[in-house]
Amino acid sequence: MDKKKAVRDYHRNLAVTAGIILLIFIAIPIFVKSPYILNVFVLVFYMSTLSMAWNLLGGMTGQNSLGHAAYMGLGAYASCLLVVRTGINPWLSAVAGMVAVAVVAGVIFYPCFILRGPYFTLVSIAFGEAIRQFIINSEFFGRASGVGLPYGKDSWIDFRFGSKVPYYYVGLAMMILIYAFMKKIERSKIGYALKTIREDEDAAAAIGINPIKYKIMAVVISAMVAALVGFFYASYIRYIDPELMIQAKSTEAVLPAIVGGAAFVEGPIIGGLIMIPLSEFLRATYSAILPGINMLMYAVVLLVVIRFRPAGILGWYMNSRAKQFVDERILKKPSVEVIEEVEMAGGR
Amino acid sequence: MSDTPIIEVSHITKRFKGLTAVKDVSFTIKRGAITGMIGPNGAGKSTTFNMICGYYPPTEGKIFYDGKDITDKKAYDYTNMKVSRTFQIMKPLKNLSVLDNVVASAWFGHAAAKNERQAREKAMEVLQFTGLYEKRHVLSKDMGTPDQKRLEMARALATSPQLLFLDENMAGLNPAETEEAIKLIRRINESGVTIFLIEHIMQAVVSLCEEVIVLHHGEKIAVGTPDEVMNDPYVMEVYLGVKKEDADA
Ligand SMILES: Nc1ncnc2c1ncn2[C@@H]1O[C@H](COP(=O)(O)OP(=O)(O)OP(=O)(O)O)[C@@H](O)[C@H]1O
Ligand SMILES: [Mg+2]
Repeated sequence: MDKKKAVRDYHRNLAVTAGIILLIFIAIPIFVKSPYILNVFVLVFYMSTLSMAWNLLGGMTGQNSLGHAAYMGLGAYASCLLVVRTGINPWLSAVAGMVAVAVVAGVIFYPCFILRGPYFTLVSIAFGEAIRQFIINSEFFGRASGVGLPYGKDSWIDFRFGSKVPYYYVGLAMMILIYAFMKKIERSKIGYALKTIREDEDAAAAIGINPIKYKIMAVVISAMVAALVGFFYASYIRYIDPELMIQAKSTEAVLPAIVGGAAFVEGPIIGGLIMIPLSEFLRATYSAILPGINMLMYAVVLLVVIRFRPAGILGWYMNSRAKQFVDERILKKPSVEVIEEVEMAGGR
Repeated sequence: MSDTPIIEVSHITKRFKGLTAVKDVSFTIKRGAITGMIGPNGAGKSTTFNMICGYYPPTEGKIFYDGKDITDKKAYDYTNMKVSRTFQIMKPLKNLSVLDNVVASAWFGHAAAKNERQAREKAMEVLQFTGLYEKRHVLSKDMGTPDQKRLEMARALATSPQLLFLDENMAGLNPAETEEAIKLIRRINESGVTIFLIEHIMQAVVSLCEEVIVLHHGEKIAVGTPDEVMNDPYVMEVYLGVKKEDADA
């Protein structure tokens, strides 16, 4: 059947394209030796991942969180403190940190989902600030001066390196894994429940979705991913302090998703690839002359995107001639009907 | 067992702040049949409907399903009990395609799909049945009222109900579309689904319903076959009065 072949070819083209992009990313550290540029990539990887965590709530569930820096920070603290105080392996501490943050987020947000409306956003802001204040005032958490991780010989077991290259690859792997995970969620029962809740909570309840239950699931998953990013960040920077959780950091988690397109799982990655290098470039170039210029630029870009492309870059791309060109000429994508027919008939 | 009515509503009252929207209403819904509820605007039809469907609890009274008290069940428990509903004010999942609207439903209910493939197959089947198949890739917000009404029904059907509640599913349809909708409802009923519907369009009520309940100012004023009810002097008075208002509006 040539329809079957067309669909098979299309999937092959997709896989090849994804493979080429992946190869480029894998090859970058081989050619780029500048630690400054590698650092920008590492930033892109973990900030995009954090933004994907945000997007599960903001984009898929329609619950805007302004507290993701706090989950990330808590994850960082939980795993750092465990490593420093008990000497357990950092990889294990990452898991423990994720579980701890999941519990905290679930317990704190359960009551606020009983109410509908903007309460979640308000509580998420208060949550972030409360956690920060608590840490600043807690001896156990090292107060305002923070916690440092031990330096030492390069080691995979201790996830500790002098060079940025291993962090580059671990960050890239983390971003890809979380992307695959989010993609899986999007197409699953949970994903449909979350999207239905985003569109209309009454309609959701009418088809059998308990909105509170699924919103809690989304918060918990999102917070766990943010905690994982926190672990990665702490292992990379090797030092954390409560500044990690200031409100501006939570906003930074939102921007890649909004700019890239919050309706798409890919949105945070596309937005991150654009916004973070831009921000870093501006910071490096102008911050000595004009402190805060990168934040100003963030604000301007955000305003421009919301004004002209409210659905983000991908929202624009999906209806653009560019996509038409890519689909027809590069990917050779058959019509939706043909893909559907082949998928329903053959069972992929 | 099959003698017990599928739904028994016993003395339900709903008060919103000062306003009593439904006053001490009792009736039953016969298994396998199509039962209608009519009444002028603001009579309390949707309020009654919403109480039975768990959208909000009655202030007083009890509701039984298959003889079991379901007064305190939550709205999201219903599809697991094989009961499903539509909304008078349509609630399409606006930014999702028609197909995804229905796939979302197919994941839930007592016969919920176990995987993506099952959910899609179920959705496709329902889309064929409701005549939305050709529009499956359209965003639901881009469709007109008749199709959105159909989509409400398709979403409800994708949860495989044995009892279906339709709130004014034909309002705003032209005569040809109404005729289509009547046929569809009859087909759903013939497939074994008990139906309870609220409708203003008399033609539909008369041709579909075995039994009709009439509400007025929150009270039940008549019950019987469409013929009996339409010839009831009180109903005629209430109803003809309102019909004129409707025509003026
Ligand atoms: N949530 C609510 N809060 C306050 N009052 C309400 C609420 N819902 C309905 N009402 C009032 O209760 C009364 C009955 O409304 P209901 O929607 O049940 O009427 P209806 O018979 O469905 O009318 P229609 O034919 O216009 O749909 C109306 O006076 C309405 O304003
Ligand atoms: Mg009504």
